[in-house]
Amino acid sequence: MNRVNRRDFIKFALSSGALLTLGSGSELVTKTLGKSDTHKKVLILGLDGMDPHLLQIWMKQGKLPSFQKLWNQGDFRRLRTSTPPQSPVAWSNFITGMNPGGHGIFDFIHRDPESYMPKFSGAEIKEADKTIRIGNLVLPLSGGEVKLSRKGRAFWQILEDHDIPATVFKMPGNYPPAPTKQRTISGMGTPDLLGFLSHFNYYTTEFAEVKEDIGGGEIHEVYIAENTVEASLPGPVNTFKKDRPDSSIDFKVHIDPFNPVAKIVIQDNEFILKPGEWSGWKRIRFKMIPTQSVNGICMFYLKQIRPEFKLYISPINIDPAAPALPISTPSNYSKELEKRFGPFFTKGLPADTKALDNNVLDDGEFLEQDDFILNERLEMFEHELSRFDSGLLFYYVSSTDQRQHMFWRHIDKKNPIYDPNQAKKYGNTIENIYREMDRMLAKAMEKTDKDTVLIAMSDHGFSPFHRSFNPNTWLYENGYHALINKWRQGREDLFMNTDWSKTKAYALGLNGLYINQKGREGEGTVNPGVEKEALVREIIQNLESFRDPQTGENPVLKAYATKDVYQGSQMDKAPDIIIGYNQGYRVSWSAPLGRIPKNILEDNREKWSGDHCMAPEVVPGILVTNQKINIDSPALFDLTPTILQIFNIKKTEGMIGKSIF
Amino acid sequence: MWVFNSIFGKIFEIVFFPFKSMTPWIGMIFISFLTALLMLCVFRFTSHQQGIKQVKNKIKAHLLEIRLFKDSLNVSLRAQGNILRYNLKYIGYSIKPLMVMIIPLILILIQLNLWFGHQSLTPGQEVILKVEVDEDLSLLDTEFLIESSSGLVIETPPLRIEETREVNWKLFAKETGIHELSMTVNGHRIVKKVAVAQKSLNKISPVKVRRNFIDELFHPGEAPLPANHPIKSLEIKYPSNYMSLFGWRIHWLIVYFALSIIFGFALKGVFKVEI
Repeated sequence: MNRVNRRDFIKFALSSGALLTLGSGSELVTKTLGKSDTHKKVLILGLDGMDPHLLQIWMKQGKLPSFQKLWNQGDFRRLRTSTPPQSPVAWSNFITGMNPGGHGIFDFIHRDPESYMPKFSGAEIKEADKTIRIGNLVLPLSGGEVKLSRKGRAFWQILEDHDIPATVFKMPGNYPPAPTKQRTISGMGTPDLLGFLSHFNYYTTEFAEVKEDIGGGEIHEVYIAENTVEASLPGPVNTFKKDRPDSSIDFKVHIDPFNPVAKIVIQDNEFILKPGEWSGWKRIRFKMIPTQSVNGICMFYLKQIRPEFKLYISPINIDPAAPALPISTPSNYSKELEKRFGPFFTKGLPADTKALDNNVLDDGEFLEQDDFILNERLEMFEHELSRFDSGLLFYYVSSTDQRQHMFWRHIDKKNPIYDPNQAKKYGNTIENIYREMDRMLAKAMEKTDKDTVLIAMSDHGFSPFHRSFNPNTWLYENGYHALINKWRQGREDLFMNTDWSKTKAYALGLNGLYINQKGREGEGTVNPGVEKEALVREIIQNLESFRDPQTGENPVLKAYATKDVYQGSQMDKAPDIIIGYNQGYRVSWSAPLGRIPKNILEDNREKWSGDHCMAPEVVPGILVTNQKINIDSPALFDLTPTILQIFNIKKTEGMIGKSIF
Repeated sequence: MWVFNSIFGKIFEIVFFPFKSMTPWIGMIFISFLTALLMLCVFRFTSHQQGIKQVKNKIKAHLLEIRLFKDSLNVSLRAQGNILRYNLKYIGYSIKPLMVMIIPLILILIQLNLWFGHQSLTPGQEVILKVEVDEDLSLLDTEFLIESSSGLVIETPPLRIEETREVNWKLFAKETGIHELSMTVNGHRIVKKVAVAQKSLNKISPVKVRRNFIDELFHPGEAPLPANHPIKSLEIKYPSNYMSLFGWRIHWLIVYFALSIIFGFALKGVFKVEI
């Protein structure tokens, strides 16, 4: 097995930007499907992570009048989420009407059973088959390909078969966008230009801030010489060059000798910033070879000039005006939006939570950035709403999820890093985003007539995240996992220290646990059938009975044998057990990529303080609609046949839900 | 130079006056049409029309020769050699009118750049004011007093860059209009105009320069500063402008030349010009 570090894994898993530019042609006019006017319309607001408990509290207090009004008109239910309740899994349930056994998305991360190497679950990258090398240049003779891994047809593809128009805005887990002539733009899972899910750059003269591998970004040490900082902005891998070097753009920052003001010069862009000021979008171009370049957009934030110089550059988003990777259908849709609104966030989850976690941005700065995202979304929502007159409109908002992840610590006094002073300042952040969504819902309700079914939904709720659990450490200490060298425990990712010949089980991803099965895994030890079944039941029982010595609670509320909870054609790729964590617990930060730390349990001292990767019972989503709901406990996969039924379309093979109306 | 620039500039203001509220395409089509007329006139009266006609006929004849005697390598090669010879002769006949046209064309292009080269600011937009100063002036010891009319906000203190001998400010456009920016340096006062979204077709002068033939030639939009002024130039970094055609952004020069050539060929028969 090659030695690959965490950073390389993440980068190579998604990088292909330079290569795919060859394949992205431009169209003069946006193609639209020949569409029939529908009598019925469906308007869905996808509010990621909106929690029913918080929603009900604030509805009761009269803070969310539109949600209350919608409930009064129709109904409200807690919406059963997916197992596990991770966004790509949950939204895939909604998209296909199946559970992971059918659509094949079981976690953010899957594994290659042969090599045990983790893989991103959402998309597969295929580089150009044929290349020609001329000196140092490698010229592809065909375009590369990004392929959506999700199986099953998306509901808007089925609507397209029946000539029903749909606009699907930023649907998570839909990168690259499923082939369709409907108007769609990809959401969560869309990488930045470098192929990362998120990768910021931070330039500082303060040596103490410089850390090597922080995950989610890069910190560069810079110097001020003659009131000028010279630095370089890393770009995508240059696949046109033999050694595949990283491309980059040099830039200069001129600083006034006394006044707090700086000018940044990068390519054609020249702009002046004061400390604490954002630049707005700047378009940059990475040159690969004389005829090929890759466009990106990024924002600059001048944190400080003196005594130490600090400059943050946001992850470089794919330029929607000249996308290097497929981000919309038809491909002109992103260009059309760019023309109307200017450059916009194209990265799947645009808020830079890693910058906040690494103290590169503080709470206020993160919120400023997320306000840009939210305002952009609200502006585009009004545009889409204004032209919605037939078929279906799905509109997604990520700020609800991201703000709860990062600001839960301010409403949770039990959080290990709760700070009352900060709580006073930012304690209303989550409430405010719920109120903002209430105003958005009000706009949607204004557009709703008697023939429009309006649904406000979330994929899951939220829960505090106080303690983190290391499943591989638990497996190791209980004799299910073996190490090559005990003294190396906790030092390496990707199971580099695992002795597979003595290992019976391993955990990978946020909730998945796999049996090291003979004939399936590269070095399997457990026979399929009775032996494996007995081991699964034993591990489940032991996991559920394990107690946290510090709190006396069970970190695992429920562990699920996947053969009991999944159905469908993709079962052979499923983990064997899904770990459903209890409220307050989640998998640790290092475990998903196969690290085996020394302690089974640790305090979560990160700013990422709210989470949902628990047991599905702990974090149901919301379902508020202007219609009466006829089933007691609706699930995400029930909404898909519901949408089809509204348009008099029968549910397709493999869909496991039923209409809620 | 300024007298010439202001007279020549006035002519263009008169030409474009009717088109100010219309899409820039109308003004561009009109000026391309006038340019085509001008080029045809120059060509007619400065070129050897009879000679051009003859070489074109010769080229046609040799092309026909190639088609007729395609089986004979000797004849074909000789014909191709003759085509090349007459092409060179044709270029020779074109040099004189081109030389006559080149100076007025450069002057026209410089003026057109004022009309089509830059976008005016829109309210809410930020822009950099860049002041280039003399080598003798101390950047740190000199006080730059800057004031603006109410539609324009000076957002930052001066940013002094020794490497390029310049001082920068960030301006914020608040209201539409032609705003004035005044700057006093060592007792010298300068006024610079700043355009904020007036009409579709605007004359925008990004740079005000110190008196100097070449600089004035290329920046004719505003009266120059005195030759001994401590400031070399004042520049507003307006965004570049492009002509939009079916969603494609095209540089105005390409549009201008393409339209002028199209009009030229379309009208050559009317004016009986051999080109």
